[in-house]
Amino acid sequence: MNNMSPEVALHRISPELRPLLSSVVRNGRVGLDSTNCLRVTDLKTGCTSLTPGPCCDRFKLHIPYAGETLKWDIIFNAQYPELPPDFIFGEDAEFLPEPSELPHLVQWDAGDPECLLQLVKELIQQYHHYQCLRLRESSRLLFEYDSLLEDPNYGHNMEIYAGRKNSWTGEFSARFLLKLPVDFSNIPVYLLKDTALDPGEDVALLSVSFEDAEATQVFPKLYLSPSIEHALGDSSALHIPAFPSGGCLIDYVPQVCQLLNNKVQYVIQGYHKRREYIAAFLSHFGMGVVEYDAVGFTKLTLLLMWKDFCFLVHVDLPLYFPRDQPTLTFQSVYHFTNSGQLYSQVQKSYPYSPRWDGNEMAKRAKAYFKSFIPQFQEGAFANGKL
Amino acid sequence: MAASISGYTFSSVCYHSANTNADHEGFLLGDVRQEETVSISDTQISTAELLQVVEIHNHDPCAQLFSFYDYAGKLNEENLNTILKDRRKNVIGWYRFRRNTQQQMSFREQIIHKQLTELLGVPDLVFLLFSFISTANSSTHALEYVLFRPSRRFNQRITLSIPNLGNTSQQEYKVSSVPNTSLNYTQVIKEHGAEFFDKDGVMKDIRTIFQVYSALQDKVQAVCGEVEQSERVKENIQEDVNKLKQQIALRKRKTAEEERKLREAQNAESHPTPEENTEPSEASPLSRITFHTPSAPERPSTSPNPSSYTDLLSQDDSLLPSSSPPTSAALLPRPQAVGSPGHPTPGPLGMGLGLGLGLGASSNPVAAPSTPYLGNGDGSSSDSLDRQAAGQEDDEEDEDDDKEEDEDSSEYENLVSEAGHLPMVSASVLAQGRPAALSPDGDARGSQTT
Repeated sequence: MNNMSPEVALHRISPELRPLLSSVVRNGRVGLDSTNCLRVTDLKTGCTSLTPGPCCDRFKLHIPYAGETLKWDIIFNAQYPELPPDFIFGEDAEFLPEPSELPHLVQWDAGDPECLLQLVKELIQQYHHYQCLRLRESSRLLFEYDSLLEDPNYGHNMEIYAGRKNSWTGEFSARFLLKLPVDFSNIPVYLLKDTALDPGEDVALLSVSFEDAEATQVFPKLYLSPSIEHALGDSSALHIPAFPSGGCLIDYVPQVCQLLNNKVQYVIQGYHKRREYIAAFLSHFGMGVVEYDAVGFTKLTLLLMWKDFCFLVHVDLPLYFPRDQPTLTFQSVYHFTNSGQLYSQVQKSYPYSPRWDGNEMAKRAKAYFKSFIPQFQEGAFANGKL
Repeated sequence: MAASISGYTFSSVCYHSANTNADHEGFLLGDVRQEETVSISDTQISTAELLQVVEIHNHDPCAQLFSFYDYAGKLNEENLNTILKDRRKNVIGWYRFRRNTQQQMSFREQIIHKQLTELLGVPDLVFLLFSFISTANSSTHALEYVLFRPSRRFNQRITLSIPNLGNTSQQEYKVSSVPNTSLNYTQVIKEHGAEFFDKDGVMKDIRTIFQVYSALQDKVQAVCGEVEQSERVKENIQEDVNKLKQQIALRKRKTAEEERKLREAQNAESHPTPEENTEPSEASPLSRITFHTPSAPERPSTSPNPSSYTDLLSQDDSLLPSSSPPTSAALLPRPQAVGSPGHPTPGPLGMGLGLGLGLGASSNPVAAPSTPYLGNGDGSSSDSLDRQAAGQEDDEEDEDDDKEEDEDSSEYENLVSEAGHLPMVSASVLAQGRPAALSPDGDARGSQTT
């Protein structure tokens, strides 16, 4: 019943309701966290047990919202597929949206496959309003909310989950989920690792949990969509400053935003820099270039000759180039090591400055090669065997 | 708040619901009443508990879903009236049946409920939710029902009880207070009711029985009065008897004293003057008589304390015809109901006693079984008065005062001035089951003298 794949769900549901469910499980993305589709579990039927299947007409819909997962029951009637569904809002027994705010319910059209999805979206909106109203129980958190609301950057991309008051301690907790207005569009495409499934929108979400109403225990967390996470360098990219005690979101969130922006810029710049670097090497070493990464510009291999001694130079450009120095790997074409590999030496520190432009770097690199090669040659002859 | 639904209404709702192939809904008709329980305990003067009881008498199923509301859940009053017609005022709630769902009110149900509460003007409208859960392999099906009272914020669920559904060997079989609304039933009762019910609606038999009961009560009251009176009389007589006994004792002493003196005088005059002989003999005729013991066993002297009825009974038990004084260990008399044919009417007490007197009358009364000996022969206190106390009814006891004195002891025979005058009541009659041949009016005299 649980973790039902969408296809199984679609197979079991009553045929008349299939189109409605299909758009939900296949395309359904609601809310800020649209990396995962809506999930459907616990398919049951409202018909008698003697009715031949498939006749399921009621199920549980799992909706990600503000870091929580809402589990709502949706109840249709297979015998009357034209009728709109009913809902049970799980543990939120007090959530009662106004039907007039749900146009897709009032004008329910069973023939429109998107109708259910749209209705769910409208319900989520109402749910959001309901949670924001609950924030009124804490003036501090309400202030946070209001201040964020005023900022157009964040105000419209916010999900609030005002948790239940802890009946033991009387504590009130809330979680803010904000979509950070960071532009990822200029990130070079190669960096965005393609996954098996449609990765969806590239998004960075900041989740801030207030464990108490006075904002003394605040836990921020950054969520990046997988491709962005990869593009920005995995876990290092998720490192954000701690929430300052006594601080407030309206100050903190822009900070995080800026940080993220910087990183993105850096990555973008890095790409361009690498391109420049490779281009400069190409022009300097011309025929000596064996191969290079023409997509990400992260690698370059040169075949050079010095005094009849041929050697390869592999250049690996790190992600945060030019801040980080490229790695040079010298490799002899004649000599082997004991393990059968070509004899090579790695050089990570050599004269280098991030402020040089591509040309300058190429020139300096050339000079360095010349100075280093005798050393390398001796080493190759000494340690390697032909 | 408590709620109850009659078994047939419940099963009817379930039947309607289970036979639909989709969700099902309808209205619940019934009554709400207030029960106030006042309890008094040692610690508190009184505590009153108010309980609201919702009784569901009937249900009105809706033919289809969305029959009185639209997609937005807005009620249509016209449709509602069409469905309910004149039963609208009896609506106390509504119900919904849905399979395989949670026992929680849904979004639309809550909206509809709010509107119904306002529209029907029932502040505590209840909502009965049926859910039918089947296991995956259809091996077990459970029908669950919960009654909600959504108007309250807390304690929204109410227990719904179905009378007589349960272990009726442990509980009483309850008659439900659901009124019978069947027309046929009313008609039949109207036609045939007059044979069983009088004009007030009370069953006739009950009245008759009640009359019998009242009559019995009156009689008992009367008997109580009589018993009281006879007890008083007996009390008086007992006092008199005691006094007389004292007098007798006194006289005895005097007599003994005189005899002694006489003897001494006789001895002293062993050749005495004859005058002295006569004098004592004349002076104490009583003494002469004293030595004349009748062949009858001695009457036991009265004890200062009248014996109880139980003592009397035991003495009666020991009664044996003309033999040695029996012991008290004998059969208990078999009790017989008053008015039953086996029981002899109370006869004159003095039958046996009168016979016992014997002095004036020469008869030997005790020899015959029909003259029961009323003592246990050891000189204890069984006497006529005790027998009278055993519950014999006698309206003429007052006359017996004088007669009673006569019977007590053979020593009192000289007191018998009316030798033939016999007392009226005989307790022995009761014990012996003496045939009621003798009337209570003293004809015993005639019959007794043999």
